[in-house]
Amino acid sequence: MAATAAAVSAAEAERERLRARLHKQYRWLDYKWDLVFWITAAFVVGAAADITKLLFAGDWDFWTDWKDRQWWPIVSPFAFIIIPSALQYIQWLAWRFPTGATYTAVAMFLCSWVGRVFQWQGFVSYPLAFVWPATIIPAGIFLDWVLLKTKSFILTSILGGMVWAFVFWSSNYITLAPYLQPTQFMGHVMSVADVQGIQYLRSQTPEYLRLVENGTLRSFLDETQYVSLVFGATVAIAGYWIGQLIARYLAIWPIGRFIKRY
Amino acid sequence: MRHCLLLALLLATAALLGTALVASAHGEDSQEGFLRMETVAFSNVQFSTDTVKQGEMVTITGQATILDTFPRNLGDPGMGYINITAPGPVMLMKDRVINGAEAPDAIFVKKGNTYDFKMTLAGRLPGRWHVHPTFAVEGAGTLIGPGQWITVQDTGGFANNLNLLNGQTVNLETFGVEQLTIFQWLGFAIGLYWMLYWTWPRIGGANHRTVSKLPVTLSVPLNTDGQDIGLITKQDHRVSNWLLAATIALLAIGWIYQSVSFPIKIPQQVLRFQPPALAQPPQFSQTVAKGGSFDPQTSTLVMDVDVTNTGKSPMNVTGFTTSSLTFVSDGTAGTGSQHTMSVEPQGQIAPGETKTLKLTLRDPAWRDARIIDVNRPRIEVAGQLVFQDSSGTKNQDTILSSINPKLV
Repeated sequence: MAATAAAVSAAEAERERLRARLHKQYRWLDYKWDLVFWITAAFVVGAAADITKLLFAGDWDFWTDWKDRQWWPIVSPFAFIIIPSALQYIQWLAWRFPTGATYTAVAMFLCSWVGRVFQWQGFVSYPLAFVWPATIIPAGIFLDWVLLKTKSFILTSILGGMVWAFVFWSSNYITLAPYLQPTQFMGHVMSVADVQGIQYLRSQTPEYLRLVENGTLRSFLDETQYVSLVFGATVAIAGYWIGQLIARYLAIWPIGRFIKRY
Repeated sequence: MRHCLLLALLLATAALLGTALVASAHGEDSQEGFLRMETVAFSNVQFSTDTVKQGEMVTITGQATILDTFPRNLGDPGMGYINITAPGPVMLMKDRVINGAEAPDAIFVKKGNTYDFKMTLAGRLPGRWHVHPTFAVEGAGTLIGPGQWITVQDTGGFANNLNLLNGQTVNLETFGVEQLTIFQWLGFAIGLYWMLYWTWPRIGGANHRTVSKLPVTLSVPLNTDGQDIGLITKQDHRVSNWLLAATIALLAIGWIYQSVSFPIKIPQQVLRFQPPALAQPPQFSQTVAKGGSFDPQTSTLVMDVDVTNTGKSPMNVTGFTTSSLTFVSDGTAGTGSQHTMSVEPQGQIAPGETKTLKLTLRDPAWRDARIIDVNRPRIEVAGQLVFQDSSGTKNQDTILSSINPKLV
């Protein structure tokens, strides 16, 4: 009995110690440091996420005529989730912030918009209506919320990864919708997105490189979209763990090798 | 000393900038010669004008043949795309007809087939642009045809209007940008608020510093939010729930908006097909390449070919087409011909007759455009020899010949 009481007391003492440390005032390393850190890191994180996205899903994110219902919901969630997952691990481990995915999404959003408006529209003259970037901010908020509630990376990878794919598609379908309206061009009925792809010259991207739904014998009850979303959710889970591996073994582990753990 | 260094630096910079050439073409000379000669031959390429106003049309017509000499190492050509190369979307593709059929997308192609193309483009961006027709072949890349400078004149404004099937007319330059900007930046506002709540005390009000948290978080298990010591509070959960609800509300409103505003939608279309075959003229010529030589010093190519007239009327050699070059026999060349070749012996080839002809093509393009490059694994020449009989009918025979370069 006395031993139990002592253990409880020790645990309470430890909590008090941690509480005191949590609220300890630092003279130099305070909110100004935080401000500098968050803003500086945003450029690095945004660029890392943008580059990863461009490497794995570049064309799908660039052109409206690539944002189809078969490949776009599969490739993009996988490509987009890698860096948010890595940041989620780092920020949860270090500060218990469920912010990694949203932070990455916000930083990448700004990077993408700067790139599309100034480079692609301003410098190369493609209309923003053709080269707008997809957003992952709603999906990032969902992913961070799932981590906050489950406090588990395994559950976040499964539930959050699946939600990520569905929210990615549903949030970007809203902006894609006007470009899927039918029109007649060159004697054929096609979507506005198709017309954009034909009219705005892409000299070194021949049309046959476009990886979009071509039709298939396996009709899946004519529900290509939903099959793609389910498969996209599955590969998003895989992408999530690639991000976790990057965070754990390329970011955190090397730091632990050289800095003494407190 | 410091001034001397500064002056030297300025002079060096000026020398570098002053001698730099303007990059105005599309890298066609960087493609290996065998690619340009043995894959696709462009002929009769014509531009309807060299100056248009914004929104005005220019038509590019011509023929492109996938040669029988298409290299085996590139695989069999199966899919192709006839398009334009230009410095970005300075012009708009308004119509593309291949062998008489509208061809918005890629086409199925076969070795030996000729594709008669007509592309109609609208001027979009004011400026002077170098424009080429191109033929991209899956597996081989994009082959570039003869180009021309086109000037697009500013009219003070430009709209790219498109009629939708619902009767609405939209300007593709700006269509949808307003609603996508509003929706995406509203999402950004929620995401930014989420970040500020968790990182900025005046908004969150909670203790969300990074520095003071690190030693604490490393002392508690990873799968806890540390509510008992104040790492994450109930208020944090509450605010996060509200922000998630705001996100869901934004998505719901967006979905209602898109389904009401754009009720009829179709997936992206893939319109690939095999264009109808062109009517072929009767074959009256046969050509066998016997070899050739090339002198890099004078950039002179000499080829020997055995030519047989299998037709019923006399025929002449009128030209040779390779890459984006068309050589005209000096016997038939007009005053404006850019590239000429001499044919020996001159004169007609009678029906049933076989003649050995010596073709001499002296032109700096062989060397300057790196079409015949002696520093490559394939020192050869390929192209189409053009014949014309007395009725005016033309035949084009594809030839491929290895050549002996004069190296010493």
